[in-house]
Amino acid sequence: MRSDLRIAIVANEKRGDGNIELRLQSKGYQVVTLTTPSSVMGFIYSDPPDVILMDLSSPDEAFLGIIRSLKDDFFFSTIPVIGMMPEPAAEFFDWDEYPLDDFVTFPLNFRELFTRIVLSLRRLRRVFDNNPLTRLPGNTSIQRAIEQTVGKPMAVCYVDINHFKQYNDVYGFAHGDEVLRMLGRIMSNAVKDAGDGFAGHIGGDDFVFIVPFDQAEVVAGRIIANFTAVVSELFNEEEKRNGFFLAHDRKGNEEKVPLMGVAIAIVPTDSPKIGHYAKVAEVAAELKTLAKQSHKSCFVVDRRKY
Amino acid sequence: MNDKRTEIFEIIRDTSTLPTLPGIVTRLQALSENRKSTIQEMAQLVSSDQILSARVLRLVNSPSYGFYRVSTISNALILLGVNVIKSLALSSSIFEIMEKTIVGLWEHSLGAGVAANIIARRLKLPEVEEISTAALLHDIGKVIIKEKCPEDYARVAMLMERKGLAMLDAERELLGTDHAEVGEWLVRSWYLPDKLSEPVACHHDVARSSTHQVKTAVVHLADVLVKASGFGFSGDEYVPQIQPEAWQRLGMTEGDLVAIVEELEDRLIETKNFSLEIQAVDEI
Repeated sequence: MRSDLRIAIVANEKRGDGNIELRLQSKGYQVVTLTTPSSVMGFIYSDPPDVILMDLSSPDEAFLGIIRSLKDDFFFSTIPVIGMMPEPAAEFFDWDEYPLDDFVTFPLNFRELFTRIVLSLRRLRRVFDNNPLTRLPGNTSIQRAIEQTVGKPMAVCYVDINHFKQYNDVYGFAHGDEVLRMLGRIMSNAVKDAGDGFAGHIGGDDFVFIVPFDQAEVVAGRIIANFTAVVSELFNEEEKRNGFFLAHDRKGNEEKVPLMGVAIAIVPTDSPKIGHYAKVAEVAAELKTLAKQSHKSCFVVDRRKY
Repeated sequence: MNDKRTEIFEIIRDTSTLPTLPGIVTRLQALSENRKSTIQEMAQLVSSDQILSARVLRLVNSPSYGFYRVSTISNALILLGVNVIKSLALSSSIFEIMEKTIVGLWEHSLGAGVAANIIARRLKLPEVEEISTAALLHDIGKVIIKEKCPEDYARVAMLMERKGLAMLDAERELLGTDHAEVGEWLVRSWYLPDKLSEPVACHHDVARSSTHQVKTAVVHLADVLVKASGFGFSGDEYVPQIQPEAWQRLGMTEGDLVAIVEELEDRLIETKNFSLEIQAVDEI
């Protein structure tokens, strides 16, 4: 965690001691104190701080309104707001109406305050990054994980589902979501079985996992086998026998869609051409086109030497 | 004092009433350690136990996972993962001998298992699963004392209340033994390996462990952290100090501890759900 955190204190009037600022500054944090409610939003919008500490010892509507408007705006809702209040007030605080992220009580215990600042930042980062559907880590974590593997004997593997869109259209998004959750579990279980690894959800039917290169094909094979087994429960006997389900294309014509499978692109990360996160994704996109050509579950390994 | 200890051990030693670890748990353990074993083999084993099968299917179709129609054990295994099945089997079989009234102790044990898992992974220790299992079992002695010697258990509770003692001290004063020793004895009688029985035996006295010092230190730390988090109820409210030997043997920094506590906080919410699910399954 960075030590040059930027912290805004929102307080009704400057508390006589000025102690909070000093203590935070001694931690290496940059601190600004805002006292007039009307100026607070302007300041935050133009120059968003990392954390907001709000003095709620005598809560006033203007201040409570600030919390609400921050948390209503998805762009600013990731800034943790920590309330500072007398202990008895905490029990009766309306947490639904004014969604604080945490609170500390007066008299302040500074060690606790420091810990809560760091914790609230980490918690929000984690919660916001995880995919709400599969609870797997999202793009920020994926990018970080990929960056860490560049140059090592690892493989970044991109996974997506063949014919997922048509399945979603025919059977409805609730069942589509179930399929995504299933793939998420199957993938993270397979990665866990392999020992050390990472599983993430880019979004929609796009997933990523990272394992040591020498295990990538085994894990990919297991994911394909397990997904095939589980997916067979989602179709009826006739569809399984036929090997396809019926959907309608954009023009309304009936079409036969093969049952869902997964396509996996395996990109080794120790090749000299992979020097950057974006390059991994680019190579994967090429491979995936290849993997999808067969309409059946399969994986493709990038073995090209440059 | 020692007479009481002997008496307790004799009661527990009475093999006809000794709870056994169901064979299915040991076989599941063996199967999952063998890298060649398949999901189908494991599914077959689980299917041989009707109660476990029902629990597995109920769990996989529960709202927390978001699957609507999983009907086969093998698919449930694929989706839940082998580890979830193993801990489901172990926790439900061990806690079958527990009454609903000590659900707090059950949650404390589940929580300790989770905490030990987080600690072991954070410190990159080998044999994470064994460490979690040892933590899951660490208070099994309390279960046995309560089940086999309910009057003594009640007297321990009274003594704790009257003198303001921690459970461990009350047990020692009244019974001449304690739940760690009783638990060790039980785990050994199930022929579980030393790497499980030693952490159970020494989780209140890390310095005493000789062969499996690191595992014991993790179980000790997991116990303390779960008590500190207020999750479950292990019998008393006292949060013991983390023993210096544990710090030393784990080579842990304060930063590690912060990260562990943070992850634990999240995982305990999941564990609570898991616990509620299992209790719900018991009601069908």
